[in-house]
Amino acid sequence: MNASLPRFLVSRVLAAAPILVGAVIVTFVIMRVLPGDPAALLAAGPGSGPAEIAALKHQMGLDQPILEQLARYGREVVVGDLGRSFTTGNPVTTDLGARLPASLELTGAALLLAALIGLPLGIGAALRPGSLLDQTSRALAALGTALPAFVTGLGFIYLFYFRLGWAPEPIGQIDSLLTPPHAYTGLMLIDSLLARDGEAFLSALGRLMLPAATMALFALAPLIRITRGALIETLSADYIRAARALGLERRTIVVHYALSNAATPILAALGMVFSYMLGANVLVEKVFAWPGVSAYAVDALMSADYAPVQGFVLTVAALFTGVNLAVDILQGLVNPQIVNGG
Amino acid sequence: MDRRRILQGGAALALLAPFSGRLAFADSRDETLRVLADSAPNSQDPHGAGVSRASLAVFFNVYDRLINFGRSEVQPGLYRYDYSRFEGELAESFEERDDGRTLIFHLRKDATFHDGSLVTAEDARWSLERGVSLPASKNQLATGSLKDATQFTVVDPHTLRITFERRDRLTLPNLALSFASILNSTLAKKNATESDPWATDWVRNNAAGGGAYKIETWNPSQQVVYAAFDDWKSGPRPFIRRAIVQIVPAAESRAATLLKGDADVALALPPRDLDTLSHDSRAHVISLPVTNAFRFIAFNSKAKPFDDVRVRQAIAYALPYRDLLQASVFGHANPLFAAASATPKDASFPQPYPYDTDLDKAKALIAEAGLAGGFETTFSSNVSDATQADPIALLVQESLAKIGVKVTIDKVPEAQWGTQLTQRKIPFYTDSSSAWFNAPDYFFRIFFQGDWRWNFGNFDDPELNALVNAARWESDPAKYDAAIRKAIVLVFDKLPLLPLWLPSYEAALRPGLNDFTYYIHGQVDFRSLKRG
Repeated sequence: MNASLPRFLVSRVLAAAPILVGAVIVTFVIMRVLPGDPAALLAAGPGSGPAEIAALKHQMGLDQPILEQLARYGREVVVGDLGRSFTTGNPVTTDLGARLPASLELTGAALLLAALIGLPLGIGAALRPGSLLDQTSRALAALGTALPAFVTGLGFIYLFYFRLGWAPEPIGQIDSLLTPPHAYTGLMLIDSLLARDGEAFLSALGRLMLPAATMALFALAPLIRITRGALIETLSADYIRAARALGLERRTIVVHYALSNAATPILAALGMVFSYMLGANVLVEKVFAWPGVSAYAVDALMSADYAPVQGFVLTVAALFTGVNLAVDILQGLVNPQIVNGG
Repeated sequence: MDRRRILQGGAALALLAPFSGRLAFADSRDETLRVLADSAPNSQDPHGAGVSRASLAVFFNVYDRLINFGRSEVQPGLYRYDYSRFEGELAESFEERDDGRTLIFHLRKDATFHDGSLVTAEDARWSLERGVSLPASKNQLATGSLKDATQFTVVDPHTLRITFERRDRLTLPNLALSFASILNSTLAKKNATESDPWATDWVRNNAAGGGAYKIETWNPSQQVVYAAFDDWKSGPRPFIRRAIVQIVPAAESRAATLLKGDADVALALPPRDLDTLSHDSRAHVISLPVTNAFRFIAFNSKAKPFDDVRVRQAIAYALPYRDLLQASVFGHANPLFAAASATPKDASFPQPYPYDTDLDKAKALIAEAGLAGGFETTFSSNVSDATQADPIALLVQESLAKIGVKVTIDKVPEAQWGTQLTQRKIPFYTDSSSAWFNAPDYFFRIFFQGDWRWNFGNFDDPELNALVNAARWESDPAKYDAAIRKAIVLVFDKLPLLPLWLPSYEAALRPGLNDFTYYIHGQVDFRSLKRG
C-alpha cells in the first residue's frame, strides 16, 4: 500500500456525492411527473369522494409546489428519514433495513456461485480457445442470457421442488414454522450460525439454493465472456510473448503474469454484475417470494408509493458507489498503477 | 457439466429438503394453518386510512365486534354468511326498542382483551366513537346511521345503548363490519398523543383487540403469524391454534406448494390454475358465488358518443357474452346477461340484464344514433387486472369491429387507474367492484349516483335518484320492492354500465380442511376451520 491511497479514497468518496444528490433529485421529479395519484389510490373505499381525496393529498403534503416538496424531502433525507410507505405502513428505512440483507445475501450467494463456475470456465476457455470446454462455456453463457430469470426459476421449482422433492418449497428465506434466528446482521445464514441454530442454517441454505442458482445462471454470461476475453488479450500481449520466449513455465506465465493483469477487468465485471443484480432481480424475488428490495420497490412503483421508490434508488445508488469504490481499491491492490494515476 | 454432476448437485439439495418444515410441524401440525396469499395486509387498525384489502383478515380474526353475520351450510363442510341473520359476538344478546330507534346490546360479562383486561361497554362506546370520528371509517358507518358520538350511551358496565332518529335496516350489517370492531380503549388511550387522540399511529402496528387470535409475528409484507387467544369467550374454541399467512407473489409457487401438501390454503389463484386444480385430488377447490361484487363494462354516459343511450345499448347487443365469460374466468362466475325478460325477476340487484348477442339489433341502434358509419373509441383496463381484463378487451375489440366500431385497447397502470376514473378521462372500460352490502338501494347509491369514482358510468338520473331515495327509508317491504323494481327497469334500459357476471369466490384448500366459511369480507376466517 502506498501514501496516495487515502487521497485516492477521499477523491472517490467526494466524486460519489453528486451521484447520490442527482439520484435523489431525478427520482423525486420522475415520480411526481409520472401520472398517477397516490391519494386517489389510497382513498379506495366507497364513500371517498373528491373531498376525501383532497384532504388526503393535503395530509400527504402532495398539494405543495414540487420544489417545496423536494426541499422538505432533502432535509429529511439528510437526517436519515426516508419517509413512510403507505402500502406497508412502515417507515421506509425500517422496510429497507429489513429487506436489504435478504437481497445482499441472495445476490452474494448468486455471485459466489457464478464466480465459482464462471471464472474457471472462462479461464479454461481462454487457455484452449475453440476446445470443447470453450464451446460448452459459450453455450452456457448463451443459455443464461437467453432464458428469462422467471422461466429458469419456475423450471427449477418445477423440477427440484415439485417433481423431485429435493429442494424445500420456494417461499422466503426460512421455513415459516421455524423461529428465525435473532437478526444480528439480517443475513439469515450468518445469523443462524451466530445463534448456533443448525436447523435454521440448513433451512436457510436450502431455500437459498434455487433462487441463487437462478440468478447465477444469469450472471454467468458476462463473467465467462469477460474472463475469457481479458485473459486471451493478456495472453497475446508482448510481455507474455517475452516471458514465453524466455522459457518460463506455462503455469508461472498464466498465474503470475496473465491472470494478475487480467484481474482488473474481471474485478470490474464482478462489481458491475453484483450492483446490477442487487437492484434488478425483481423476477427472482417474486418467483421465490424472497423478501428483497427490488420486489419492494416495484410494488411501491405500481401503487405510486413515492417514498419507498426514492429510498430504494438512493440506497442502490449508494451501494453501487460503494461497490465501485471497493472494486477500485481491490484493483489498486492488484494493479498499483490505478491508484497512482498512472 | 455431465449428468452425474447434475445428479450429485441434486443430491446435495435433497439433503436439505428434510428440513423444509417437517420437524417443527411435529408438535401440532394439524392445528397449524398455513395460508399462501398474494397480497399483504398493511395495518392492524380497523379504522386506519389507506388499509389494504388483505388487512380485513387481520381485523376479523384479531378483533371482535358486538355482532356477526350468521352463517349457513351451502354444501357439506362449506359455509356462507347470511346477510339477514345476526349473532351476538361480544354481545350476548341484543334487542330493538322504540320501533328500531334504540338498540340495546348486552355484553358478555367474562370477555377480556388480549392483555387480560375486561371488555366493558365503555370500550364499545369508545370504539364506535372512534369509528364515526376517523375519516376512513366514518363514511361507511354513516351508511347505517351511525354518525355521532352522542348516539352511543353506556347504560352500565355491560350494557350499551345506541339511539337513532329512525330505524335503519343498514345499522346491524354495519355493526358486523370491521369498522365496528371493538378496541381495548384503555390500552389505546395510553398510547394516544395530543396530536393523535385516537392513537392511530400506535394501533396501526399494535392490535388492541380481544378477538380469537393474537398477532404473534407482524411482518406484513412477508408473513403474519396468528396464535389462538386461549381466553377467547365470544365463540366456541377454534380448532386452529396457529395460523401462518405468507405472501407469495407467484401464483405458480402458491399452487405448487399446496399440491405438495406443504400449505393448507392457496388464495387468489388465476382461473386457469383453479380449473386445473379442481381436477386434482391433492387440492380441494371451493367456489362460492359472490353476490356483492360484479364485473362490468362501463361507459362515460356524459361524453360522446356514449351519452346516447342507443350507442350503449348497441354495444350491449354486440358483445359475445359466453365467449367473454369463458375466456376471462373460464366460466367460473354467474352470468348477469341474457335475462329472458326485460321485467326484473325480483327486487334483487345485481341480476341478469336483458341483453344478449344480436348483431342486427346492434347495427340498427347504431344507425338510429346517426353513427351508421361507425366510430373510433378506446377501451381501457387496469394493468393489474390483466388476467381477466385482457381477454375481455380483445373480444370487445373483435366483436365491435362487426358493427363498425373501431376500438383501440389501452392498458392503464394501476397507479393511474384511480385518478383517471375519478377525473372521468376514460370513456369505455372494464373493471370489477364490490359493495359491502347486497341491499339494492345501497348498491344503487354507490354505483349509480354521486361524483365519486364508484359511479362508474358517470350517471345522474333524477328519476333514479328519486326512486332510490324513496326506497332508502321505506319500511313497507312491498313498497320497497316496487321502487327497486322500477329502478332496475330504468338501469336495464339506460345502461350506465353493463354488468357481465358475478364473480365466484374461489380458493384451493388442502383436502381434509373443512368448515371454511365465506364471510362478507372474502378473507380467511380461521375460527371455523377444522380438519378431518
